[in-house]
Amino acid sequence: MQKKNAQRERVLHLLEEEGGVTEEAVRRISGETGVPEADIWGTGLFYSLISNPGKRVRVCDGLSCRIKGADDLALSLSEEGKECERVSCLGQCDRAPATLDEDLEQVCYGVQKRGLVPDDPALPMNLGGKLNDSYSSLGKAREIGPEAVIAKIEESSLQGRGGAAFPAHIKWKGVRAQAETERYVICNADEAEPGTFKDREIILRQPHLLLEGLAIAAFAVEAKDIIIYIRGEFTSERRRIEQAIEEAADKLGDFHWRIANGHGAYICGEETALMESLEGKRGMPRLKPPYPTESGFRGKPTLMHNVETAACIPSIVERGGEWFKGLGRTEPGTKLYCVSGHINRPGVYELPLGVTLDELVEVAGGYDGTPMAFSPGGPSSGFLPISDRNVPLDFGHLAKAGSMLGSAGLVVLNDTVDMAKATKWQLDFFERESCGQCAPCRIGTRYLRRQVDSFLADGDVSALEFVGDVGWEMEEGSICGLGMVAAKPLESAIKHFPKAFNGRSE
Amino acid sequence: MSSKEFDIKINGETCSAKTGETVYEVAAREGIEIPTLCHDTRLEPAGACRVCLVEVKGQRRLEPGCAWKVSEGMEVTTESDRIERHRKVLYGLYLADHRLDDDGFPVETANDNQLRRLANETKPLDLHPVDAPRVGRPEDVNPYISFDPDLCILCARCTRYCDEVEAVNAITLSNRGSQTTIATAGMRGLLDTTCELCGGCIDTCPTGALVEKKSPDRLPADARKIRSTCNFCGVGCQLDLHVVGTNGDGRVVKITSPPPGETVNDGNLCVKGRFAYDFIHHEDRITEPLIRGEDGELHPASWDEAIAYAAEGLLKVKEKYGPDALGFVSSSRCTGEENYLMQKLSRAVYGTNNIHQCSAT
Repeated sequence: MQKKNAQRERVLHLLEEEGGVTEEAVRRISGETGVPEADIWGTGLFYSLISNPGKRVRVCDGLSCRIKGADDLALSLSEEGKECERVSCLGQCDRAPATLDEDLEQVCYGVQKRGLVPDDPALPMNLGGKLNDSYSSLGKAREIGPEAVIAKIEESSLQGRGGAAFPAHIKWKGVRAQAETERYVICNADEAEPGTFKDREIILRQPHLLLEGLAIAAFAVEAKDIIIYIRGEFTSERRRIEQAIEEAADKLGDFHWRIANGHGAYICGEETALMESLEGKRGMPRLKPPYPTESGFRGKPTLMHNVETAACIPSIVERGGEWFKGLGRTEPGTKLYCVSGHINRPGVYELPLGVTLDELVEVAGGYDGTPMAFSPGGPSSGFLPISDRNVPLDFGHLAKAGSMLGSAGLVVLNDTVDMAKATKWQLDFFERESCGQCAPCRIGTRYLRRQVDSFLADGDVSALEFVGDVGWEMEEGSICGLGMVAAKPLESAIKHFPKAFNGRSE
Repeated sequence: MSSKEFDIKINGETCSAKTGETVYEVAAREGIEIPTLCHDTRLEPAGACRVCLVEVKGQRRLEPGCAWKVSEGMEVTTESDRIERHRKVLYGLYLADHRLDDDGFPVETANDNQLRRLANETKPLDLHPVDAPRVGRPEDVNPYISFDPDLCILCARCTRYCDEVEAVNAITLSNRGSQTTIATAGMRGLLDTTCELCGGCIDTCPTGALVEKKSPDRLPADARKIRSTCNFCGVGCQLDLHVVGTNGDGRVVKITSPPPGETVNDGNLCVKGRFAYDFIHHEDRITEPLIRGEDGELHPASWDEAIAYAAEGLLKVKEKYGPDALGFVSSSRCTGEENYLMQKLSRAVYGTNNIHQCSAT
């Protein structure tokens, strides 16, 4: 069985090497691995980077890119004779409209006004500072031992930075408590929530912090294998990690490192879908429980952290949990805020957790135009009116405001934006990225998008009569977080911008 | 894990349960119906259809009864306003993604459409159709199995059955989101896949999206179901013959397997048992013993006459050419006991070791 599963794990990589899913490729891979052809076919067609072989330009249709002219760009590229595919967020909202060339390398057509918080050695990640590759924290961790490391993490109250804000130390203790000694540490670098590009910057600017954090975590939970699952569109980011692992080989040698590519599926950022993908399957989330700490990758105890969470770890071990906790304003630590949209200097800014929108935007060069709405953590967080500008941007306060911080991919919209259209764009995203496993999400995302389309077409509000019920059911009945939040853009837009949905004159 | 017995509460009633059981299993034993579409006792719970969601005290979300493991002191609610609303909207979503009849109810084909029954029990929300871009394989020329994507709810029972029970893996979930469908590699016809045409996918399909090509429509109300034993091999699979017409003039128009858990074949059949029933009423079928006369033609005879005639003929061969001039081939339809008797006939009666069984080659 183990052998069979090992073969299955190769399937997506082999499809990538073959250039995508074709009948011939599937037949060859089935012959080589023994995995049934149908399974390879069905798995391959789940992933947008391999489902449609051939090379083409990819233009982002995330919210930030749409408001910065992605539609026009796609049109002009097509007119130049380039085959052009519209894709969900490319994680370059600060370079909007984001584009990848035929080989998935970044091409920039946008105006470059990107910003970054200036060098400050007091910051845990300090992306603007010099490369931190001392690995002194890993040394310290080895000195004080796993229990003391976990105590520091607990003291810091570090919350998962992928969006769920789950206390990190509980996962660490959970994995340590397992009798099974084959354990895995997985880094979730499948950054794909539209508006979010912080993990990319960590990888490019402070890759050793990430590797060190993962190594400390693996040391603490006594895992030998560390897997970094990075989204397939992050080509230069992957190269940077590979280079960093090589540079630090002498310090990281007692762990087995592996980098696995994503293949174009937002849902694989969900931890159990990510593990399914690593196991060579369709990225459909698993039922929980069991939780990954008990039964994760290959059914073994697995500690999974987002890039940013991992990158916070070295400084916590080095300078202590109390210190890290004290950095935050309303919740522990600093946070990488990604800001894009109608902002003068979009970028990634490391600030105390709990700053307000105005403070953040001030660092980011101020608003572009008159702000009207913002989305604190990607489409999953819905929209908030600019009157909520004083809500601390943290996990708790935003949840109370009916939104969420999520991955802190903030998109600011000024008063030139049609909120109904912006809503439709967000719904496009969820419809495209729903895995299709459960009905509330598979049918619900399509239903909501079509009803808003219908409203946009003729202004007839009756199209929206049942969207509240459907949104409710998606939250109650979906298997995973994607379905649970996929109605948020519409629900929040109707709540905060009722005029945009009151009938249309055009 | 040691199995422990304890009490849980379902809708306030105390029920005894064991470690490892699911809420659905305990409820079923207690006669409490939790509706479901994607559950099949032969398969690992998938929790995909979301129909069986129940309230579990202490859990913020509704949880799938088919997969949720019981624990001591657990309190489960299967009927509440919240669950009622959930079903109403969920069924509404399913209906918005389903072919409906003129009355707005799910179309029913040869197999029951369980969604239709659910929609009758709980008035679903009337939602605008979503027109999902889900494709089938209309070019598939296999003789037995057809798939209608507009009646499919993507519960994946068929693909899971093909994998978990048959280990054939001819069909798969394919694509993503609203494009998700049931596919084969390359969307080829089933004859060009590993499919063995067992038809188990038809049997497990809860909505009649998969039906038998030869028997695609609803059977008349007076069709009778007659339990019988498959005679294609010695396993003894039980099957239900669906017979239309009165005694003496009845015709078998379809064969299904008895429900899982009831008979030795646990709801499964093979291609012969499920589909090869055309011989029953075929005009070429031999229905009585025939002896070829000196005129070269076949003439009806009684069993006694036929057997005596064959025995005599065999003995004559033995006397003239010796026992090893004879050879016996037993049919794959025979049971082990019948095969034993056949070799005994060969060895003890006629004195030759020339005995074979056709499925041994």
